[in-house]
Amino acid sequence: MAFPAMAFPAMAVIAQAVNGIMMGAVYALFAVGMVLVFGVMRVLNFAHGAVFMAGGYLCWFAMAHVSPIYPVALLFSTAGGAAIGLVLERLVFRRLRENLSMQIVASLGLILMAQNGVLLLFGADALQIEAPSLRRVLRLGELGFTVQHLVILAAVAVAVASLHVFLSRSRLGIAMRAASQDIQAARVVGIAPDRVFAITFALSGALAALGGALLGPLFLVFPGMGDLPLLKGLTAIVLGGMGSVWGAVLGGLAIGLLEAEATLFAPTDYRDLVVFAALIATLLLRPRGLFGTAIRGEP
Amino acid sequence: MKAAATLLAVATAALLPVAFPGQPYMLQLATLTLCGIVPAIGLNLLFGYTGLVSLGHMGFAGVGGYAAALLMKQAGWPFLPALGSGALLAGAVGLLVGIPCLRLRSHFFIIVTLAVGLILSTLFTNLDWLTGGAEGLPGIPRPRPLAIGGVRIVLATPIGFYWVALAVTLGALLLQWAVVRSPFGSALAAIRQDETMAAARGVDVFAHKLAVFALSAGIAGAGGALQASFLRVAAPASFDLAASINLVAVVIIGGPGYLAGPVLGSIVFVALPEALRAAAQARLFVFGAVLVLLALFAPRGLLGLGTRLLRRHAAS
Repeated sequence: MAFPAMAFPAMAVIAQAVNGIMMGAVYALFAVGMVLVFGVMRVLNFAHGAVFMAGGYLCWFAMAHVSPIYPVALLFSTAGGAAIGLVLERLVFRRLRENLSMQIVASLGLILMAQNGVLLLFGADALQIEAPSLRRVLRLGELGFTVQHLVILAAVAVAVASLHVFLSRSRLGIAMRAASQDIQAARVVGIAPDRVFAITFALSGALAALGGALLGPLFLVFPGMGDLPLLKGLTAIVLGGMGSVWGAVLGGLAIGLLEAEATLFAPTDYRDLVVFAALIATLLLRPRGLFGTAIRGEP
Repeated sequence: MKAAATLLAVATAALLPVAFPGQPYMLQLATLTLCGIVPAIGLNLLFGYTGLVSLGHMGFAGVGGYAAALLMKQAGWPFLPALGSGALLAGAVGLLVGIPCLRLRSHFFIIVTLAVGLILSTLFTNLDWLTGGAEGLPGIPRPRPLAIGGVRIVLATPIGFYWVALAVTLGALLLQWAVVRSPFGSALAAIRQDETMAAARGVDVFAHKLAVFALSAGIAGAGGALQASFLRVAAPASFDLAASINLVAVVIIGGPGYLAGPVLGSIVFVALPEALRAAAQARLFVFGAVLVLLALFAPRGLLGLGTRLLRRHAAS
């Protein structure tokens, strides 16, 4: 192969790695929320991207009308996302637990409602979150990245670490894991499934909205901003084996890295194609994802 | 009784534009609805009757649409051979995709179909030399007049093309009916109900899944070809992810696993947003709310809801 070494200058590879890990962290956050809901309730919430988008708008709203302090806006969006999650669970997804096809239809309906709802409320123009300090460029030798890159990495690391502690130490977290393994057995030992479902959805919504609020200042806030994270998040949980939080995190990071580095050897338009082709290739080699394990009773 | 009702419905559909002339917009909507029914029939065989969800099926419709467009535009083929070749090519692509992907289970399979649909639509948008890129392939010629004996039927007019679309749709419905009634269809139903049991009773599960996947992709391809020649352009937006998800919604809302499900679903999907035009800006918001309500209160689609209500009525 005549790939000249110059085509892959080391600096470009590293710069794209920084970008890739940042986007990957956002995908990971997104995927963790989806995999929690899937693990506990066996619900695939395709409207997760709409909650992500709502997080972006909540952050914009908070910065413009509540408090110009970004961490406050982040908390505001996260709390708002949790509330949205609670409502979605109670009104829609609790009743659709056994019905995958109607989960798809309901999600599509919710996406239409959310995207057209924000169109009616905020207009069709993309909004910019005014936070110049977050867009300041830091230089590290030849590398340049924004403050927001670091904020995203730090926030995702904190969120995933707290989630891990919550799931492994707290009573509620352990109840969630029990419910995800066997809902009947969980009921027998005194876990109220409805309460677990509500908390799972609230957590998931909070994580999605946090993701939107983190990505908002870097890009713009617009109705379709959750579409690509949804596709990448789905890919991430499948890569991760559709069962584990850490699988989803690693899957998200891997996708972020892959799509960023792909721009070095393929036209930008083919970036997503590379990601999805990699997904298919991975599943052909490992049909249950990178970290998935066989489930008893399934051939 | 059922046959009479079907005949009546077909006759009504055929005579509708004659009975209400001078309604070009309604005629256009009706033709678009027909174009939507055909790929939905393909997906209904796969999803409704076999239980396999594909979230990328309009990608296969796109293969058929682009192939037919190229054949009619560049090679000057007539409509029907172009449509047939488009369907065959889409079926062949479905076969190639199905061989590796159908080995995956449940949710993994669903996400892979999504990925396949995305890959196909990326190719439609970016293979400029073949597909015309973002603009697509415009200027597809209208079907030539049909001469049966001494009668010459012009198909290039809006009404003429409506009849063409109706004929293709009826063909697809007939194929669906024949497949469902055949032993092959019974085997598919067995797979949907319990794969392990079907295998134990001697059904080659993989071969049946592969066959219905290819068939369903082929029917979708015919639908794509029909739609492209109606709109006179094969464009990427017709075959993207949103179109694929809408197609799934059409099948589910109509009633998966009912012969008439795709018809009803497509009518609802085209007619309802039109009927909501009064709500202007909030139209799609209301449509979304209706979808959520349908998901909650009609778990087996509209036809499922209808049969349940009828049964309850009969019981009381």
